[in-house]
Amino acid sequence: MVSSPDCLREQFKILQKDYQQQLPSKIGHISEIWYRLLRRPDRVADWEKLHCLIHRMVGSGATFGMSELSETARRMEGYITDMMAMKSHPTAAQQALINTVLDELKQMAIGPQWQVIGGIVDQYSPEEKKEVKSRWRGEESWRNVKSKKLIVLIEYDEEQANDLRVQLSCFGYKISTVKELKGLKDAIEEMSPAAVIMDVMWPEGQMAGTEIIQEIQGSRNWPLPVLFISARDDLQARLQAVRAGGAAYFHKPVDIGSLIDKLDSLTAHETREPHRILIVDDELILATYHANILGKAGMVTEVVTDPMQVMKSLVDFKPELILMDMYMPGCNGLELASVIRQQDAYVSIPIVFLSVETNVEQQLTAMHLGGDEFLTKPIEAQHLIAEVKSRVERSRIVSSFMERDSLTGLLNHTKIKERLSIELTRAKRQQSPLAFAMIDIDCFKGVNDIFGHLIGDRVIKSLSRLLKQRLRKTDIIGRYGGEEFAVILPDTDAIGAAKVLNEIRSGFAKVRQLAQDNHEFSVTFSCGVAAFPEYSDANSLNEAADKALYQAKHSGRNQLALAGGGLS
Amino acid sequence: MKPLTRIILVEDDPDIQVVARLGLEAVGGFTVKLCSSGSEAIESAPDFAPDLILLDVMMPGMDGLSTLKALREMPKTVETPVIILSAKVQTHEVAHYKELGVLDVISKPFDPMTLPANIQNIWAQHYG
Repeated sequence: MVSSPDCLREQFKILQKDYQQQLPSKIGHISEIWYRLLRRPDRVADWEKLHCLIHRMVGSGATFGMSELSETARRMEGYITDMMAMKSHPTAAQQALINTVLDELKQMAIGPQWQVIGGIVDQYSPEEKKEVKSRWRGEESWRNVKSKKLIVLIEYDEEQANDLRVQLSCFGYKISTVKELKGLKDAIEEMSPAAVIMDVMWPEGQMAGTEIIQEIQGSRNWPLPVLFISARDDLQARLQAVRAGGAAYFHKPVDIGSLIDKLDSLTAHETREPHRILIVDDELILATYHANILGKAGMVTEVVTDPMQVMKSLVDFKPELILMDMYMPGCNGLELASVIRQQDAYVSIPIVFLSVETNVEQQLTAMHLGGDEFLTKPIEAQHLIAEVKSRVERSRIVSSFMERDSLTGLLNHTKIKERLSIELTRAKRQQSPLAFAMIDIDCFKGVNDIFGHLIGDRVIKSLSRLLKQRLRKTDIIGRYGGEEFAVILPDTDAIGAAKVLNEIRSGFAKVRQLAQDNHEFSVTFSCGVAAFPEYSDANSLNEAADKALYQAKHSGRNQLALAGGGLS
Repeated sequence: MKPLTRIILVEDDPDIQVVARLGLEAVGGFTVKLCSSGSEAIESAPDFAPDLILLDVMMPGMDGLSTLKALREMPKTVETPVIILSAKVQTHEVAHYKELGVLDVISKPFDPMTLPANIQNIWAQHYG
């Protein structure tokens, strides 16, 4: 029995989903045996069982499309075999290694790809989970909650501590405050925060903060990310902070914008998005082979064997490069490239032809019709990877100039409108809701007039940062113009969008903006929301959101209005 | 070319069993017999008479190498071609397996869609 590729892929997808769903319990089992072994390291059968389970994961992870899982499991397998060879109680260092790897595995098991609500690592309250669950039906929800990074704030001044806590929470960090230096080392070890913010001056001493951190750093295997804040601004204090391994030093009153910037960069483990490659080839085996090569180089691929299905993949998969066979039944590569290029949204996507064609004339025609490169089959893996990688990298740079706003890095006006129509097409086809929001900073002209454009730019940046942090990765944010922003929220209805944006609105109002001479002020925004299917095309969505925004402004600003009436 | 239709897959991991079987049957069109352990393989092989045995190395109980040895000692499977399927592939190990008379080694993780093509290639090299 040989099934059709489509049907097979479907079956593999189902198996993949099953595997992913069972992953938390598998990892739970592994960690259970590990903890049992820590108590009874003499149980050989448990060691063997542990080895067997983790070894299986090495083999199965990537087979089910999770190569990272395989790699991590492989690392753990290495540690385990070392320990088994040693035949003694695992050392503290070995235990730490295994615990770290186990944590990584757990993170992967509740990764963004699947929807295990109520998984195994549980730092979040049922309320938080419930809220997230009800807010998003989308897959990214977990990531949002999970990625709330823990920052330990060590500050004796209660008022200042509270103030900083509120400010930082607005930017999606989870803050835990410590008010004394006693027992600090253990507390930090226990909480294992993403970073620590430490006041330098304490009642115990002018430099007590840096001193204790220096001591803690000395006892650790890897450095603790620390930011110092202090009322002192002399070189001596700054030097001391550097010696204690401080990543930054902020003079009080702290400029929240810079503090957040630093925290973001310090705690970001954000890996760059993998390259997305669409492979169009009627020969499944060959296409899969190329997908494999690129996949091993860390790229994400999708294979289309029927050229007629390309348009669907362009919208859904959003490739950054198309690798296309030249000769296919029904429609050849040249024709298909022309069709793709006819659409404005895909004018700049690199298309690389892959063919046995060696005729130069034919190759030139391919270029003329919109191909970027012509590779001759069979192609060596290294060559293919290098070619595709450099093309995508370059295209990313070029498109970031074309598509992004230079101040905020958000999509520009043209691009966000383009994305709205693409997302709307998808929503229609998948019969899922989609919300569109327009946001406008209140009385922004006043900010510019009073504090100057530099401060105005900072306000705009702070809102863009907040939006990026608070929205899902699948949401699309653009700077529409001056102080106006637009957000597309796929898979979200008007009520859901309003809830999230209202949270962001009240968060933004709490953000303390800093002007010259330490003058502080805060800024608000108004927001209008419209959604599909209530509004069914891009223009009417845009218009309805704009009208709602006007209504929010008209009713007193710092509020959100839903299209077709309704304020909140 | 020597015909290749019947395959015994010896693999203890139920997850891999399912995908590998799907790949072998649906993509490759092979007739597949699943064995979850070495001893099961030894029991089934004489009756099933496979053209090829795909053998995992690390299995609890009887591991791949002892299974291979046992197969070689039985008259009906003394010459049955074997391909090793393993997550532990280092060059010296591959050489060692080949010395023991296996056709080749396929490393895990593998892509279930291309596994049959992989096997066919190895088959063609030896019997084509």
